Amino acid sequence: MKKSNKKMWFAIFTFPTIFIFLTVVVIPFIMGIFYSFFEWDGIVLHEKKFVGFGNYIKMFSDTRLGDSIWLTIIYTLIAGLIINVLGLALALLVTQKLRVKNTLRTMFFMPNLIGGLILGFIWRFIFMEVFKQIGEVTGFDAVFFNWVLDERFALLAIVVVSTWQMAGYIMIIYITGIQSIPGELLEAAKVDGAGYFQRLKAIMFPLLAPAFTISLFLSLSNSFKIYDVNLSLTQGGPFNSTEMFAMNVYNEIFSYKNFGYGQSKAVVFFFFVALITLVQVYFSKKREVEM
Amino acid sequence: MIKKISVLLLVVAVLSTTMIGCQSKKDKDVTITVFQSKVEITEQLEKLAKEYTDMTDGVKVEVWGTSGDDYATQLQTKLGAGQGPTILSPGVGTTAESISGYLYDLSNEDFVKHIAPGMEVKSKDGKLIGVPYGVEGYGFVYNKSLVDASQMTDFASFESTVKALKESGVQPVSLSSESYFLIAHILNVPFALQDDPEGFIASLNDGSKKMSEDPVFEEWATFMEVIRAEGTNPLEVQYDVQTGDFATAKTAMIHQGNWAYVMFTDYNVDFEMGILPMPVKGNDKISVGIPNSWGVNAGASDEEIEAGLAFLNWLFTSEEGISYIIDAFGFIPAMTNMKTDSLDPLGKDVAHYTAEGKTLPWMFSLWPDGVINNDFFPATQKFFSDKDMTGSELLNMLDAAWEKAAQ
Repeated sequence: MKKSNKKMWFAIFTFPTIFIFLTVVVIPFIMGIFYSFFEWDGIVLHEKKFVGFGNYIKMFSDTRLGDSIWLTIIYTLIAGLIINVLGLALALLVTQKLRVKNTLRTMFFMPNLIGGLILGFIWRFIFMEVFKQIGEVTGFDAVFFNWVLDERFALLAIVVVSTWQMAGYIMIIYITGIQSIPGELLEAAKVDGAGYFQRLKAIMFPLLAPAFTISLFLSLSNSFKIYDVNLSLTQGGPFNSTEMFAMNVYNEIFSYKNFGYGQSKAVVFFFFVALITLVQVYFSKKREVEM
Repeated sequence: MIKKISVLLLVVAVLSTTMIGCQSKKDKDVTITVFQSKVEITEQLEKLAKEYTDMTDGVKVEVWGTSGDDYATQLQTKLGAGQGPTILSPGVGTTAESISGYLYDLSNEDFVKHIAPGMEVKSKDGKLIGVPYGVEGYGFVYNKSLVDASQMTDFASFESTVKALKESGVQPVSLSSESYFLIAHILNVPFALQDDPEGFIASLNDGSKKMSEDPVFEEWATFMEVIRAEGTNPLEVQYDVQTGDFATAKTAMIHQGNWAYVMFTDYNVDFEMGILPMPVKGNDKISVGIPNSWGVNAGASDEEIEAGLAFLNWLFTSEEGISYIIDAFGFIPAMTNMKTDSLDPLGKDVAHYTAEGKTLPWMFSLWPDGVINNDFFPATQKFFSDKDMTGSELLNMLDAAWEKAAQ
């Protein structure tokens, strides 16, 4: 009696979640794979033409897609690295004995509370107006100019904004990791004469490995999927030089109205993100040590 | 046992709350839904809907809105799911054509007799699928105290006007950075100047013609070179800056249409203005077209369709309806039964060109889907940021983009 009762409660409470997960994630995903084998403009009345793997084969000759995938990989590497380095540095800073550490934590975390779209628009203004002004006034116009309109700097502009947004979030994960390291270990190392960087390298980093796993996973998958900042900051411009994977998929579907082809890109997109993060988690996990 | 029943009741309660959304509405009175994309008229349209409900005693008009950008996507989703609105804005050209299967044939309705000649939105198989919102026109909006219209009739006089303006310390001409303002509107001119614009588009589609090999396009490209050399860098200029600079007489000419006038109302504009054609090959016509249209969803229930048609009929023929279109929405009517003298200066100019028959059609609604934002726009950005790029190189890029998009 008791056991079956428990099961029933379990069913009642998980049903809504499973129902929602099924209807908005699993079923659309399966339908998406189905549609990716068709040539279709998305209008229900219009005929869906079955093309088999045609859409997938077409991708190999799509240079614009190729460019955007490369760009996304490069972006993910740069942004992932900077976000983690900065997040860790901030975490180390605010776990020191500082009087303002709580204020600092709040401040660093704050940008994460603003949506990527809004952040993008704000920074677009900063790059277009403020940067230009600073450059004109100070004469440092090699650095301070309108980044958004420059082919090479537009990508960096996205890196800056997304780092601004995400570093604070990653910081929180590292703070948790740092706080879970037993104080006596560090204390003992200090007594033995280890300097700060030695303690960092020999004690903190190995024990932070689980935090690295999570942070890298979050920053890599989020960077790979970037769309909002990309859209509001550069719109893929200037001249398509910052059109990333997600934006390419969106444009294919909703601008060119190639629903089938765009859907097949989306499927590939899914496997790309899955592959990258699985590989990363596998290797990061290997480095984790048991205390 | 009691426990079991209470659990069962709970399950029922949980399920029924999720089902509430599916319950059918009461069908006592007819409700028609209007799904529209122009943010500017939302309030007025809601007021009109309320007035109409009061007047007809029970025909409820519900207004749905969205921002212009994702209208087509949302509409397509709603239609596909069988939850389309009664009255919708199918657009014009390829956009309207793509959903023509959903649209009710308006040919036999009374009010469509008033549509000005050539302004009907028709599908390829000849069905009348849309009634125009109104007309809009664009060209070089110019400051009459700075520019002499008689001095801008061909390429040479355009160039000398622009140069003289620059020497006198005014920004002569400015485009703005949004995709339609930067390239779509202005590139329409050489398309519309072809002898057979639609045939030209067809031969671009099958690859038998190229923009870069056409003399009209070649001259158009030299205009673009002049605009780049003498004007402001459009990539740095957004719509509000462009119109602001014009309203404060910093810029003599901007490439815009009569819709820009609402932007000037915040400034005390103390000069006269008008619209000038882009004088490619001596062209003296401005581009006038229909921005959007009203259509009726053929998939709605019969009584909904009937009520929707009655509503449109009232809107386009009754005195109250017409006054809404002209005074509240501020549209320049595309119907012959509406006359107005209360238009703003730019609207008057458009009406004037229209009356004289000096209009070019809007061909960009027939360009391939997505080509403006995804291909033409980046190519033009490249042209304006790379001063070494020639106008004919721009045309080559546009050709390449077209070829890819037309596949």
